[in-house]
Amino acid sequence: MSQTWLQHTFSRKRFQTRNQATAMAIFGVAILLILGSLYLSQVASFAITNREIEDLISRRDQLKRQNEQLIGEIASFRTVPRLFARAVEIGFRPATNNDIDYILLEGYNPQRAVAPPDRIAHSDADGVAPAYDETFSGWLERQFTLLRDQFESFGK
Amino acid sequence: MQAPTPRQSTIQARLPFVALFLILMAAYLVINLANFQFFPRSVRQELEKIGSSITNTTLRVPAERGLIFDRDGEPLAFNIVQYRLGVSPALVADADALSSQVAEILDIDAFDVYRKTISENVWEFLAGPISAEQGEAIAALDEISLGLEEIPKRFYPQGTLAAHAIGIVLDEGLVGSLGVEGAYNDTLAGRVLDLSVSNVPFDLPEDRPAEQRGQDIVLTLDRDIQFWVESELKAAVDEYRAYRGTVIVMDPRNGDVLALANYPTMDPNYFLDVEDPSLLENAAVQETFEPGSILQVLTVAGALEAGVITPYWTYNDVGRLEVGGREIWNRHFQAHGATDAATILIRSLNAGAATIGLEMGTADFYSMMRAFGLGQATGVGLFAEDAGELRIEGDTYWSESNLGFNSFGQDLKATSMQLITAFAAIANDGIMRQPRIVKQVISEQGAEDARPTTVRRVLSTETAAIVRDMMLRVVREGAPGAFMRGYSIAGKPGTAWISTAVGQEYGPHSSIVTFAGFLPAHDPEVVALVKLDRPNEYYGYNVTPHVFRRIADRLVILLGIPNDDVRRRLDAAQTDIVAGGS
Repeated sequence: MSQTWLQHTFSRKRFQTRNQATAMAIFGVAILLILGSLYLSQVASFAITNREIEDLISRRDQLKRQNEQLIGEIASFRTVPRLFARAVEIGFRPATNNDIDYILLEGYNPQRAVAPPDRIAHSDADGVAPAYDETFSGWLERQFTLLRDQFESFGK
Repeated sequence: MQAPTPRQSTIQARLPFVALFLILMAAYLVINLANFQFFPRSVRQELEKIGSSITNTTLRVPAERGLIFDRDGEPLAFNIVQYRLGVSPALVADADALSSQVAEILDIDAFDVYRKTISENVWEFLAGPISAEQGEAIAALDEISLGLEEIPKRFYPQGTLAAHAIGIVLDEGLVGSLGVEGAYNDTLAGRVLDLSVSNVPFDLPEDRPAEQRGQDIVLTLDRDIQFWVESELKAAVDEYRAYRGTVIVMDPRNGDVLALANYPTMDPNYFLDVEDPSLLENAAVQETFEPGSILQVLTVAGALEAGVITPYWTYNDVGRLEVGGREIWNRHFQAHGATDAATILIRSLNAGAATIGLEMGTADFYSMMRAFGLGQATGVGLFAEDAGELRIEGDTYWSESNLGFNSFGQDLKATSMQLITAFAAIANDGIMRQPRIVKQVISEQGAEDARPTTVRRVLSTETAAIVRDMMLRVVREGAPGAFMRGYSIAGKPGTAWISTAVGQEYGPHSSIVTFAGFLPAHDPEVVALVKLDRPNEYYGYNVTPHVFRRIADRLVILLGIPNDDVRRRLDAAQTDIVAGGS
């Protein structure tokens, strides 16, 4: 009676080595090892990237603070008493009403315009990482994006 | 087929029970599983919370306080970071080296640091607040036993400039107090957030949300005008050896406060070092005083508006008047005979003002004083503004004599802000604008302008013009110290005695002197109020007009107000353009 390869492989015979079964097992383990190492490498790259992002966020906050510190320092160097003292030092004096001549310009409105200051940028609208929701499709999308990015970076 | 053995029979008989038991148990498990899946919302949230507490940490993110700018965008209040430094003695490997390094960076005693690094305690405070540079130098040591904690700090780069208008911040940069910091604390403060941060290294790190930051505020103050006003005020207080002084400069057309100065003042960066707590008081809005003869202008304006007097009205001035059993005397006890309303203002005649007040009667007089804003806070947008005190007929402690004394500014109390707002209404053709110190609020969504607001029309255009003409004469004939070549200035000096529980103060340094004026008189662009507390000269006309003129000298340059001659030529040129165009 002829046996199928499956029956042959799994037929119960005592103390008999089955080369095909061993090969299948080794193949399975190899596949698991490959998948596992792929998974681990991805997880590791995730963790490293996240650590880098954290460092960048903290660096950005630090630079922002330093920037504000510098703006404050510049402002304290530009105070009126300081500018006034410096102007006097280099030979200026406050103008009096008699020093001023007015010239009439046709169509000029003597009302001065007031320039509101620009708000110091604090938003990070540019370069925002894509957001994913915590669903299976979201996770799948994330994996796909990561894989695509890896291929793209490999291609470069 | 063999018959079952007794044992098999027993097993077969028991099998249905075992199967039933297993089915019941399975059903129980399934029901429990379903029950677990469909927990009530509150239980589920609680479980989720417990679950996330294992993988998440809650970080308290302090809100970054909004900044304050002057009208031209010059920064007035900023945030900087300082640090608090501590050490975990158990983690210190080399106490000698560490303490000498830390002591060198912080410029403190190395032995003190050493003592703490070998302490038995789990945590020891080393120093704080320390500057950002020192903090970064400590962080660069990369020493695991040292812990740096950020402390937000408010920094005022302009120092004492506009200190009372800006205010201060308490509680490590969290709670604003005084000035705009106090009045707009909710706008500036932002929202402190508890941010849940994942500990799982595969989760994306969370960034702090931008919308929690406080909103920025642009003030109506002009830094340059503020500087000159403060300089002139300080010079005046020193020259006349006054106890203190206040100056406010306002644009009457929109109510913008261009400068607000009190002297002596304080540095908001070091307000904790202030020994005299009264220095923290914003006298311009928090201190009430009897305004004295400066108020005669409001009495005359009110009487003209109510139709009680006309510009040609006269009375016989005998130098004194008795009202409600109390005597009112003119300055130097002089009588002037037939006197008109303008002369009452020029010579600052108390008896004349009281006569007008009595002719108005309580209803008209107090209605006009209320219309001028006395007895009500102006709502300028500064912390703890006082409403002043205006007792009217029917109030407890009001007496008939109050009407006479109120007519020339005694027996009532007002703030400098209330007075300048009233004079700004006269300057602005009788329309009172809401004084304001905040010009713009800037959020992540964009800038929102605070629109100028009209409070009410106090006087008709005609009455306002008549009063301005009278005030122009006051400067020409009664307060020449305020005279400025080329410019028409309208104003009124005032002197007020200081009431005490037993009467009034006498002798030198016993009066409050003021001057309220605007220019150009016929088309006012700026109004200013000067107030000096207890100067060495008793009468205001000897003191405050000079101070006003010195301030006005700078204002015409800083605000680009051409002299009357140029203005006339400008008006003529514009008229020609309009005529040519039509």
